[in-house]
Amino acid sequence: MPVLEGKELRIVGFLCNWCSYGGADTAGVARAGQPTDLRIIRVPCSGRIDPLFIVKALLGGADGVLVSGCHPRDCHYAAGNFYARRRLEVLKQFLPVLGIDERRFEYTWVSASEGQRWQQVVTVFTERIHQLGRAPRFDDAEPLLKLADMALTSLRPLGTGQTAALDELKDAIRAKLPELDCVIGWQQGYDAAHTVPLFIRKPEDVDKLVWGPFNVNNPAVYLPSFKGKKVGIVVKGCDSRSVVELLQENLIRREDVTIFALPCEGTLDMARVNEKLGRYQRIDSVSLDEAGATIVADGTEHRFCMTEYAQGKCYGCTTPAAVLADTRLGTPTPVQPGTVVPPELALLDSMSLEERMAFWRGQMERCLRCYACRNACPMCVCRDFCISDSRNPHWMSQEDSPREKLFFQTIHAMHLAGRCTGCGECQRACPVGIPILALRQQIARAVAQLFDGYRPGLDPAAVPPLLGYEVEEKNIHERDWK
Amino acid sequence: MSMIRFVTADGLPGFLAHLAKDGQRVLVPVEKPANKPSVVFEPWQEGKAFTLAKATVPPKEAVLPQCETLFSFKKAKDPADPARVSLQLEEAPPPPPTVVFACRPCDARGFAVLDRPYLHGPFADPCYKARREALTVITLTCASGCNTCFCHWVGGGPSSPEGSDVLMTAIEGGYVLQAITPRGEACLAASALPDGAEVFPRAEEARKAAWQSLEPAPDLKDAPQRLAALFTDTTFWQEQTDRCLSCGACTYFCPTCYCFNITDEGEGLSEKGGRRLRSWDNCMSSLFTREASGHNPRNAKALRMRNRVSHKFATYPENWGSFSCNGCGRCISNCPVCLDIRAIVLAALEKGADA
Amino acid sequence: MSGTKTQQTMLREISPRPMPDGNPYLPMPATVAEVIQETGNIKTMRVVLDDAEAMRQFVYEPGQVGQLSVFGAGESTFVINSPPSQKDYLQFSVMQAGEVTAAIHRLSPGDKVGVRAPLGNYFPYADWKGKDVFFVGGGIGMAPIRTIMLHLLEHKDDYGKVSLLYGARSPRDMAYSYELDDWLRRPDLDCTLCIDAPFEGWEHKVGLIPNVLLELAPSPANCVAVLCGPPIMIKFTVQALEKLGFAPENIVTTLEKRMKCGIGICGRCNIGGRYVCIDGPVFTWKELQALPPEL
Repeated sequence: MPVLEGKELRIVGFLCNWCSYGGADTAGVARAGQPTDLRIIRVPCSGRIDPLFIVKALLGGADGVLVSGCHPRDCHYAAGNFYARRRLEVLKQFLPVLGIDERRFEYTWVSASEGQRWQQVVTVFTERIHQLGRAPRFDDAEPLLKLADMALTSLRPLGTGQTAALDELKDAIRAKLPELDCVIGWQQGYDAAHTVPLFIRKPEDVDKLVWGPFNVNNPAVYLPSFKGKKVGIVVKGCDSRSVVELLQENLIRREDVTIFALPCEGTLDMARVNEKLGRYQRIDSVSLDEAGATIVADGTEHRFCMTEYAQGKCYGCTTPAAVLADTRLGTPTPVQPGTVVPPELALLDSMSLEERMAFWRGQMERCLRCYACRNACPMCVCRDFCISDSRNPHWMSQEDSPREKLFFQTIHAMHLAGRCTGCGECQRACPVGIPILALRQQIARAVAQLFDGYRPGLDPAAVPPLLGYEVEEKNIHERDWK
Repeated sequence: MSMIRFVTADGLPGFLAHLAKDGQRVLVPVEKPANKPSVVFEPWQEGKAFTLAKATVPPKEAVLPQCETLFSFKKAKDPADPARVSLQLEEAPPPPPTVVFACRPCDARGFAVLDRPYLHGPFADPCYKARREALTVITLTCASGCNTCFCHWVGGGPSSPEGSDVLMTAIEGGYVLQAITPRGEACLAASALPDGAEVFPRAEEARKAAWQSLEPAPDLKDAPQRLAALFTDTTFWQEQTDRCLSCGACTYFCPTCYCFNITDEGEGLSEKGGRRLRSWDNCMSSLFTREASGHNPRNAKALRMRNRVSHKFATYPENWGSFSCNGCGRCISNCPVCLDIRAIVLAALEKGADA
Repeated sequence: MSGTKTQQTMLREISPRPMPDGNPYLPMPATVAEVIQETGNIKTMRVVLDDAEAMRQFVYEPGQVGQLSVFGAGESTFVINSPPSQKDYLQFSVMQAGEVTAAIHRLSPGDKVGVRAPLGNYFPYADWKGKDVFFVGGGIGMAPIRTIMLHLLEHKDDYGKVSLLYGARSPRDMAYSYELDDWLRRPDLDCTLCIDAPFEGWEHKVGLIPNVLLELAPSPANCVAVLCGPPIMIKFTVQALEKLGFAPENIVTTLEKRMKCGIGICGRCNIGGRYVCIDGPVFTWKELQALPPEL
C-alpha cells in the first residue's frame, strides 16, 4: 500500500459508536483539521473492546492504537466504559513486558459534542506516535536468549517438610473418604525423584500419598472437572489460592470441596533438578533432610539444597500455609515481610523494550503449541472451547509463526488478568521451558498496583478486580491531552 | 562390508560444512538456554554451536513441519476477457534437500514409522514424499539408556539402524560413521573423511556395551490383543488417564505421531487469495473428532488416550506389522504430569494376565 | 531412501475403486451450477468441474464421497448423491452445521469451489444382485441412500423388490421433496415416508423410523437392508432390523465421520485400525461388529 510508505503511520482507532464516533463526526462537520493517520473501527461500546484487539493490532504492525469511549458516567450501556477503563489500564501496564512501548497505546473519553476535544486528542496522539516513529516489528527482531538469575533469597526458610504431619493427614483423609468421590493429592511418579497427581478413591490408595519438595503439580487444576461431585483436595499454600480463586469465580462450590492442608516448605524446580541429574537410567536412592534432597542416580550422588533449587515462585511466597482449609495440620514457618520480584520478571525488568521483544521472538520460536501451559492452568476453565482453537471468531491462525504463538500467550495472560494466582504451572508445564510466567507476573504486578495490593485467591468473597469497577477509580487517572 | 569413515571430534564442523554445501539444509541439535533447557533441531550455519545430546524435540519437522502450505489459491482474471474469472491453485515449491545430523536411533525409526502411512498406504502423500526423498539421516547411536526411554521394549535399540542412512558411534577421539543405505554410502563417499574400517571394531564394542547397559525389557508381544480386549473397559482407561490434562505435549513431542489438520488461512477467492495449510493436530484434543453436529466419538480424555495408546500398540501394528511407538520417552519426559505410556501398556498386559 | 527392514505394504488390502490421480490434496476447480434449497437447513449443490475433459472422464461408484472446498473456509466431506449415470454435474446435499457448511450455504450459482473426489469405498451392489433391497434413510442420511437407490432402479432387472423407508423430523425437514411424488408413484419402488410427530395434512406414516420399520416388517429372506442417518437412528434401526431377523452381513450402512485428509492418514475418522475414509464409508453391520465400538 503505497499510501503508507509516505509520512503516514498506521494508527488504529477503536471508537465507541455512541460518543467518540459522534465526536469524530462533529469534528469533521466542523471542518476541524486532523492528521490522517488514524484508521477508525467503530465498536458498540468501549466495553466491547477486548484488550486483545489492541495487542493484535500492535503485534500485527500498527504503530499506535487509540481507544475512545464515552466519558465515565455517560456510557450508553451504563457501565461499559467503567469495565473498559480497568481493562485498558491493565493492558497499558502489560504492554511493556512484550517489548511494546506503552505510549503507542492510549485510551480516552470523547463525547459526541466534543468535536474540538476529538481534534485535540487525535492531533496529540498522532504527534506522539510520529515522535516515536515506526513501531519495531516483532517478526524482524533478532532472537535474543537470556537466562533468569535463580540465585535468590527467600522470605522464609525453605525446607523439605520433614516434620510434616503426613500420617495425621492420611488419617484425616481416611476418615473423610467415605463421603467423597475422591481426594486429589500426590504419589510417586515413574521414579522416586518425581511425583505425579494421585486420585484417592479407595482407602488403600491413601497410603500412596506423599508430601515433600517433589509435589510440584497444582491439584486444583482438576477441581472444575469434578463438577457436582464431592471431592477432597490436598493443597500446598499456593494451590489453596487457586482453590480460593475458583471459589471467587463460582467455578466450584464450597460445599463440594474438602480442603486438606499441610504447611509447605517449598518445592523443587524440577527443570533444574532434571538438568543436573542429566541422563540416568536408575534412581538408586532419594533422601531428604531439612535443607534439601540427595538423589543418587546410576551411582552418582547429586545434592539439591532448597535454597538453590526451589521453584522461582517459592522464594517470594507469602502463603506457605493454605489460605483456606477444612483440615489444617502442622505449623507453617513464619514469613518475613518484604517482596521478592520473581526471577523471570526480574529478567524482563532488566531489559530494554527492544531486548524484550527480541527475547520473546527468540523464546516463542521453539513453542510447538502443545498448549500444556493452557491445560495445566487451574484458571483456564474454557478447556475444550478455547478461542485459540476457534475459527469463528478467528483469533489465531494455524500458521506457526512466533508472532502467532506469542499472541496466544497474550490471550492466556490477558484472560488471567486479576485471576492468576501465580502458581506457575503454565511455565512448569512448558516442555521447552519458555518463561511465560513472566507475562502473568507483570499483569499481577499491575493489578496489585492499580487495585490497592489486590492479590487473587486470598479471599473467597472478594470480587476479582476486572469483574468490577469503581465510579471513581483511586489509582486510574485520566491523562491530559495538552 | 558397508562403507566406514572416521571423523575426529574436532572434525565435525568441517563435516557439517561439507554436508551444508550446495545449499543442503543440515539440521543439527542445538541447545536453547532456558531454565528448562531444550534441545531442538535447527539449520546449521558456519560457526553455530551444536550439541550431540539427545534432542528434547524430535526431528519430525524435517519431513512433517508444524505447519506447511499444501497449496495457495486465488482468483485470476482472464486478460482477454476480464469478466471471466478463474480459480488459480498453486502447489508449494519443492522442499530443500535436508540432512538430519545426530538424531538418535529412536528418531530415525520415527521416520520409518511415518513412511508407512505416508508412502505405502493407498495414497502417497506428495508433500511428505518430496521431503522424505530429499532426506539423509545421520544417526548417533546411544551410549546408554535413560530413565524415560525404552526403545528396546518396542523393537529398537541404542544402535538400531532402521530409518538411518548413516550410523555414527562415539569412540575415543572421534566418531565412526557407518553407511547403512546407498544414500548413506553416497553421502560418506562424497566426504573427504578417512576410512574408519580399522576402528570399526571399537564402535561395535561401544554399541555392544550400550546394549548391555540397558535394563531388561518386558515382553510386549501380547500388547495388541490385550489392548484390544480392554477397549470397552472404560474404568481401566479412566484410571490410567485421571491425571491427564488433555494437552498436546505427548503428541507434538512424539517422533511418530502424525495426525494433522487442514485449514484455510488468508482471504477466500480474492485477488490476494489464501492458503490451504496442513498443520500438526493432536488426538488428545476434544476438538479433534468433534463433528459439526456436536457428536463426538471421543468426548472424554480417557477415550482419547485409549485411541492414542491403541494406535501405537494395537491398530498401527494391525495395519503395518510393528508398533508405532519407538520408545523415545519424550511423551513421558515432556508431560506436565509425567503420564507414562509404559505404565499404561504394562497395566494392560497385567490386567489381561489376570483375566 | 533409508529403512532396511521397513515393512512396505499394508497388511490388509484396500478394495479396488475409482480413485483420484495426482496430488490428492489438490482439489479440482469446479463451479456451482445450481443450488436447491431442500429444507430450512439443507441445501443441495450441483457442481460442474471446470475442466470439461475431467468432467467427462469423472467416474465414481454410488456411496463414494467427495471433499467440497470453499476456498478460505475449508473443505468438508459429503457423499456424491447424484447417481453415477448423471454425467452433467456432481450433486452434494449439505446440512448447515459448522463453519464450512455455513460457507457452502452462502454459495450461489457461478461461484468457484473445489472438489476432491471420488474418495472411499462404495455400496457393494454387485453382491445384491437377485436380492430384495430395503433402504432406510433418516434426515440428511437420505443423501447416500438416494444415489444407490437411483442406481439400482436404473438397473432394476438385476434386483428383486426395492423398497424405501424415508423418515424425517417433520415434512419441512424432508429433503428431495420434489422427487417424493415420483418415488411414491413409481411401480418399481415401494416407498414409505414417515415423520416423527403428527403434522396437519400429512398423509403418510407417523412415528420414529425403527418403529415404522417394525410395523412394515420387511422379510429378511433374500433381502439386504441399507441404512443411513444420525448415529442414534442407526443404533435403533439396526436393533429393529436384527429383531426382524436380518443377519449382520445383510445390514449395510455408510458412516459420516469428521474427516480432513480423506486419504487414510490424518487420523480422526478411524474406528480402531480402520479408516472410514479409505476402508469405508460403507460398512456392513458385520464388519462394524468386528471393530471397536467407537462410533
